[in-house]
Amino acid sequence: MSALEFVNVSKSFGDVNALSNFTIALEQGELVSLLGPSGCGKTTALRIAAGFETSDTGSILLGSTNIIGLPAHQRRMGMVFQSYSLFPHLNIRDNVAFGLKVGGVPGDVRKKRAEEMLDLVRLSDLGHRMPHQISGGQQQRVALARALATEPHVLLLDEPLSALDAKIRVEVRDEIRRLNRDLGVTTMFVTHDQDEAMSISDRICVMDNGVIEQIGSPRNVYNNPATSFVAHFVGSINSLPRGNTRVLIRPENLVLATHDESAQWRGAVTDITFVGAFTKIAVVLDNDKSSVSVLAISSQIDHNIAIGKNIGINEEIR
Amino acid sequence: MKFVGKIWPRLYIAIAIVFFAAPLLSMARFAFQRIPVISLGKDNLFKRWTIDGLLTTLRDPEFAHSLSVSLKVAFFTVLVLLFLMVPTTLWVHLSAPRWRGVVETVTILPYVVPPIALVVGVSGTYRSIAPWFLASNYSLVPFYAILAMPFTFRSLDVGIKALDLRTLVDAAKSLGASSGRVMWNVLLPNLRTSLINAAFLTITVVLGEFTIASLLLKRTLPMYMAQAQGSEPQGALGLGLLILVLTTILFTLVSIIRKKDSTNINAKNINSGMVP
Amino acid sequence: MARTGILSLGQSDPKGGSHTRTPLQRFQLPVKFKPIGLVPFFGFVGLFLVWPAISLFRLAIQPTKNSDISAMREAITGDYLDSFIYTIKLSLLTALLGVLLGSLLAASVLRIERPKWFRNFMTSFAGVAANLGGIPLAFAFIAALGTQGLITKMIDYFGVNLSDAGFRISNFAGITIVYLYFQIPLMFLIMVPAFNGLRASWSESAASLGAAPWQYWRYVGLPLLTPALLGGFLLLFSNAFSAYATAYALSSGGARLVPVQIRFFLQGNTITGKDNLGYALAAWMIIIMLITMTGYLFVRRRAEKWQQ
Repeated sequence: MSALEFVNVSKSFGDVNALSNFTIALEQGELVSLLGPSGCGKTTALRIAAGFETSDTGSILLGSTNIIGLPAHQRRMGMVFQSYSLFPHLNIRDNVAFGLKVGGVPGDVRKKRAEEMLDLVRLSDLGHRMPHQISGGQQQRVALARALATEPHVLLLDEPLSALDAKIRVEVRDEIRRLNRDLGVTTMFVTHDQDEAMSISDRICVMDNGVIEQIGSPRNVYNNPATSFVAHFVGSINSLPRGNTRVLIRPENLVLATHDESAQWRGAVTDITFVGAFTKIAVVLDNDKSSVSVLAISSQIDHNIAIGKNIGINEEIR
Repeated sequence: MKFVGKIWPRLYIAIAIVFFAAPLLSMARFAFQRIPVISLGKDNLFKRWTIDGLLTTLRDPEFAHSLSVSLKVAFFTVLVLLFLMVPTTLWVHLSAPRWRGVVETVTILPYVVPPIALVVGVSGTYRSIAPWFLASNYSLVPFYAILAMPFTFRSLDVGIKALDLRTLVDAAKSLGASSGRVMWNVLLPNLRTSLINAAFLTITVVLGEFTIASLLLKRTLPMYMAQAQGSEPQGALGLGLLILVLTTILFTLVSIIRKKDSTNINAKNINSGMVP
Repeated sequence: MARTGILSLGQSDPKGGSHTRTPLQRFQLPVKFKPIGLVPFFGFVGLFLVWPAISLFRLAIQPTKNSDISAMREAITGDYLDSFIYTIKLSLLTALLGVLLGSLLAASVLRIERPKWFRNFMTSFAGVAANLGGIPLAFAFIAALGTQGLITKMIDYFGVNLSDAGFRISNFAGITIVYLYFQIPLMFLIMVPAFNGLRASWSESAASLGAAPWQYWRYVGLPLLTPALLGGFLLLFSNAFSAYATAYALSSGGARLVPVQIRFFLQGNTITGKDNLGYALAAWMIIIMLITMTGYLFVRRRAEKWQQ
């Protein structure tokens, strides 16, 4: 039995199909990302699960009960928003204890539980502070603690990292992954950022125009994209001519063949970007002028590779 | 909120509209229909409507005089207020940000001293030491400036906050502009919305103010209306309605200008009215 | 020229200046002289507001010739005390009703989304109505609810005689209704931004944490609106308390309100030797307003903290 299951859920706003026959099952303790460009329906799916939107058709199963029609506050789903969701008039501890308070948990118990939760996100010394007195990253960690304090069936995360700085983002991301593993809470994570989805998820559900394009492990989605959309959206990809067709090959699966006169493709180097361990080389192919990007290990770049030089490119043999 | 239907809000708004429209409609009927309420019935509901009362009042030389007094006082009040508050607000933001709280609190003081108390205090002080001052119509100007100070400061304060003043001044100066040029060519155009907003609100305050004018015995427009109510009631009410309509137009103009400019200035905090 | 000086004196970063420096700009002021640019402002307020206001107190407490008790004391006894109670009651009632009805109106208008111009129209109208007071407003209500008013006549047609029921446009109930005409829109203008300031993510967070709608309003919505409600109440109270023109025109100068009473003394319609009673009444008004507005400032400072 799945922890959370969408069965043929559809939703349209006027003429726009936000979600069409959305079907997915989350196993107990699993972290699944809904990944896609803005307007792809990922947030709609999440909000339907939370009870903030109604679906036109379909059912949502929590365990074995259909929760369609159940008001949001009876669904026991913890939710974390993009930002500004902490109650500004309550201190951090009272924010964390809010769900317990409205659930009728006695004062001393909920205080203890709030402290435990703050401990869990390593913010135990900030309990007395007000939300505006702590940083954005800390606020999101408090929001996580607050959502988890009521021991929800499912944790729903709506782009919780998008408002944060790059460095903090990684920190909070790792925190989410750790909490998911340690507590075994089934988690649905909405994001438009493929790196985020790749690094955090057990499975990724790639969506476009309200339709699921592919569901699979990050490795699977990356290496065996089911559709051209998935190939282009997840990671970067080159489209190269082969015979009468074109093939899609990732930049890191191309190798530079400086001296190979019989290389599969030849072209002129137009740009070289050093990104640390790797170097990105942009090449314009001789035969059809399409741009190709090759990701090479920096230490293997020699003086033969410079802007304007003609080089060969081969597909990496694995 | 979404758990309550939409019928109750609509019903409540309808009642509110009746409450707000009824006095104005009654006023219009009284001003423009030559039939006493007592003999009003179904058969004469649309008879004897005329604007003669209003026209008589508008032709009254006393009216012209009071209007000119009010307009002159309004003009100088706006002038005094802007010359005082624009430099003050700019100074607070550029040089003495720590004093912002103090200045803001002081601008709320006019709410602490009701107009009636202010005018009593004024006649208790100025009447003995500077009787010539209170004799002039223009003695109203500084006190009206005081009344309009809260929302003028607020309007300017919000406008300047949205500007990133420091950068603007530094950028202009690095391009070689003198301080005067910075003020005239950079700051004032950027504060246009705030300035117009404050000026229009000030004008409406001056054109409606009764308490101070009445106790200092100045023949301003509201004073004229109060007095005309006895002699030419239809004309007085017609005039009241006319001023109301003009005020509404003035307000609508302000909100249109505000909206037009809101693309470059974040004006959402410039509340209309005198909400401090 | 004065303005030029003000701007250049304020230059705090010496490197920010440019090649076109005036002698004034080269001269940097020490920090403690920074408020110098505020002298005209403080001077103006001092001369035309603070000095007259403080003089009231001086005039009110100076000894009287033919009275043993001080004017300040007398101003809160007997008929004058009744006037204060009457005015405060009226202000409290209209503020309370204004808060209630104005907030309800704001909530209702914000719920109506369909004709887009409607919300703008209501806001514009509220702006006009909130500032409407004085003579035109009194005229409108006399025409509507006066003894010869149109609405009075219409109600009479349905068999209810307002006059016989004890209603007068100049008595307590009458003035209350008239004041609501500007109190409700004022509260509306305060509450629209306050309601808009409630983020959807707060109510949704609350729901996802198990809070029923009433629990959201009880523990989140209402506490967050409290500064606006409380601040609005204090503002409405002060608005009604200091209003003069409307009541004066409604009652032809006969109302028992403190501001209208003060007028008698200033116009000399009273026994000589009691001049400073007028000052004392005005002084007491200022004291009450001072308390009200201090409360208002306190509430606002608190609310600003959350808004960061």
